[in-house]
Amino acid sequence: MTQAAHLLMMLSLAVAVLGTLHCIMQLSRAKTFSAGLLEKANLAITFCYIIASCILFFGFWSYDFSIKYVHDYSDLSLPLFYRLTAFWGGQAGSLLFWALCLVLCGAYFQSTETYKSLSQETRTWYLLFYFTMLAFFGVLLTTYNSPFEVLSPAPANGRGLNPLLQNPGMIFHPPLLLLGYGGFTIPACLALAQALSGKKDSETPWHICTKPLILVAWLLLTAGIVLGGWWAYMELGWGGYWAWDPVENASTIPWFFGTAALHFGFIEQYRNKAHRFHTLFMALTCVSAFFATWLVRGNVVESVHAFGSGGVGPILLTFVIAAAVLVFAVVFQMPAKGSPFNGLETKEGFLLSTSIVLITISIIIGFATLWPVISKLWTENSVGLQAGFYNSVILPLLTVIIALLTFCPWLSWKQGLTHGKYFLAVLLCFIVFMGVFWTVFSVKLPLALIAASISCACMVSWTLYFFALKFPIAKLSPVLVHISLAVMGLGVAFSGPYKTEQEVVLARGEEIAIDTFRVKLLELYEGRDRTGRYEFLEAELLVTDENGQKVGIAQAQRRIYASFPQNAYAEASTIFSLGKEFYATFLGLDEKTRAVVRISVHPLVNWLWIGGTIMSLAPFITIYAMKRRRNENSQEAQNG
Amino acid sequence: MTKKLRSVYIVSFIFFVAAIGYMIFSGISQNSVYFLNVSEAIAQEKKQPLLSARLFGTVAPNTIVHPEDGLGVSFALEDAENKTQTIQVQYKGVVPDTFDVGSEVIIEGSMQNNVFMAKTLMTKCPSKYQKENREKNA
Repeated sequence: MTQAAHLLMMLSLAVAVLGTLHCIMQLSRAKTFSAGLLEKANLAITFCYIIASCILFFGFWSYDFSIKYVHDYSDLSLPLFYRLTAFWGGQAGSLLFWALCLVLCGAYFQSTETYKSLSQETRTWYLLFYFTMLAFFGVLLTTYNSPFEVLSPAPANGRGLNPLLQNPGMIFHPPLLLLGYGGFTIPACLALAQALSGKKDSETPWHICTKPLILVAWLLLTAGIVLGGWWAYMELGWGGYWAWDPVENASTIPWFFGTAALHFGFIEQYRNKAHRFHTLFMALTCVSAFFATWLVRGNVVESVHAFGSGGVGPILLTFVIAAAVLVFAVVFQMPAKGSPFNGLETKEGFLLSTSIVLITISIIIGFATLWPVISKLWTENSVGLQAGFYNSVILPLLTVIIALLTFCPWLSWKQGLTHGKYFLAVLLCFIVFMGVFWTVFSVKLPLALIAASISCACMVSWTLYFFALKFPIAKLSPVLVHISLAVMGLGVAFSGPYKTEQEVVLARGEEIAIDTFRVKLLELYEGRDRTGRYEFLEAELLVTDENGQKVGIAQAQRRIYASFPQNAYAEASTIFSLGKEFYATFLGLDEKTRAVVRISVHPLVNWLWIGGTIMSLAPFITIYAMKRRRNENSQEAQNG
Repeated sequence: MTKKLRSVYIVSFIFFVAAIGYMIFSGISQNSVYFLNVSEAIAQEKKQPLLSARLFGTVAPNTIVHPEDGLGVSFALEDAENKTQTIQVQYKGVVPDTFDVGSEVIIEGSMQNNVFMAKTLMTKCPSKYQKENREKNA
């Protein structure tokens, strides 16, 4: 069966290559186009990927350790849920999953009405880019990174999944990113296709055709990044949710590009301008996803994360450079259209500025992450940048973005303000919040003070905006997304600089004070998980506030997993709070059997997850509103 | 676009680039550290004292010593490729869960009297298990 899966991969590679050639032949003759055969080929590829993925899923389900990949990432003791999700636990599987997401998005898009309304020429160009992408995946999956290598004879047991990955946060974090990458690929291919096909004005523009895909891809990417932060915070105990590690940085690069493209999209949709920028950045979003993969998987920079690289580095880099050159070439030949931009102080100007700042952030993150490689050009030993660099460069820029979007709703497209009073009210709010944070909460760090106050003003601004527009459902999702971004901004402004952390040694019954909490070690327990997956040692901590009121009980554990007996893993315990969250990690026992515990207090940290959740769900409202509008339109058409 | 508007855009862009440039420049000058593997660090140390660096290497066998009082660990860090090159490391603080002989670690700190005083100690995770297990099975 494994051979069958491998053959399916070869087959899909062959079809993708033939499809690409067929497109090139049609386009070079440039008389009449017919995409019908190519669309059938696409369905065949989709079918191959679905079956091959099912075979891998089945391998995990049935403990088929003759598949090397199954053997490497699961074992007999792994529960079914983690066994199935071990599919994307390693490099080859996650590539297969990415390709699967891509073909599913492609097959879905091909079945939509809007796709069928496109001209044959546009479709052929679109399929050219799409098949090239699939051919690239095919090469990777059949040569460098095949998930279907066979072990013979089949071992009796597998190696097991890393305990750090056995957490719901980690299970959904990678596939969300990969689904996002897959989703952005379709609009990117179509954008380039329309740029080349000499699109008639009657043809629906690509960003309208693929709007649901763009929104879903964006929200999945957002959710993936937020979930990654939450997982790092809850599971890893790296001392926070964001460490500016190369791998984390890489995941944000496509997000910033995608978000910038989305904002250029608004300019194009409402003002019929910036279509070249829009095309460029949508296509670059897709390219940057491969760049991010190269950064992560190509062993380019030393990271806390490490992936078996499997030698994909050079081929990924070649692909990224070739694709970027192609994108710039395509955009360069596009004719300019639409009137020039209005002033910087208009809504157009603010949208443009926001996009430019987003792209700047993305580029800085990319260069800073690559700094150890770049610095080699003029120094003998490579020089890297610490987290302090990102905090002092990226965080101010993010604050600028929140400031831009705080005032943007009140600007008109051409010049002046739409609601002068509201504008002033928001400005006043900003100043009042600054005063409150300075005096009441004694926030004295300039950046934290400005970021916190502008975030609060931003929430007020967008709430007022929704109010001023008289609550239209179509605007609900941008309103929610921007409010939730401000909520996250507030969370970062406090939880970043105002975190306290301390390592303490506690005997039974001993009590210490940290921040505004008092912590007492009640009891130490030993035990075993019901399924026998791990043994644990638990420290039970009673947490009270300054007045002696009970805040809660934290049960922090150290676990030893049956399949990884050589190490113990800390399972952190938190006491949930919308204000200061108490966080305890049990580090071990000293010689006098006292508990060594790391205790930290994270102010407003949960607003990050609340903001992130709203942000990832809100775009669904737009999709719903779009669908409803389309249904209404089609009903009117039938009635009329 | 009128001439005036164009100059507004150009001037603002120049301001933006200048501000970003300044931030990046000061950010780089304050937050740069050497990223070195063990043999590079040894070579560098011979030329000038290594005051701030991030080192990459693996934990050498039979060198791990836990202090009797409290947290921390001292060990020899060996070059991932050339096992004969080692640096003695002393670290005070919480030792990560996955720290063990042969684990790939990242340490930050400075060299003092031929001992690297590490302020942070991180073990590579979480996907490293592929390699780690391969070594164990072999």
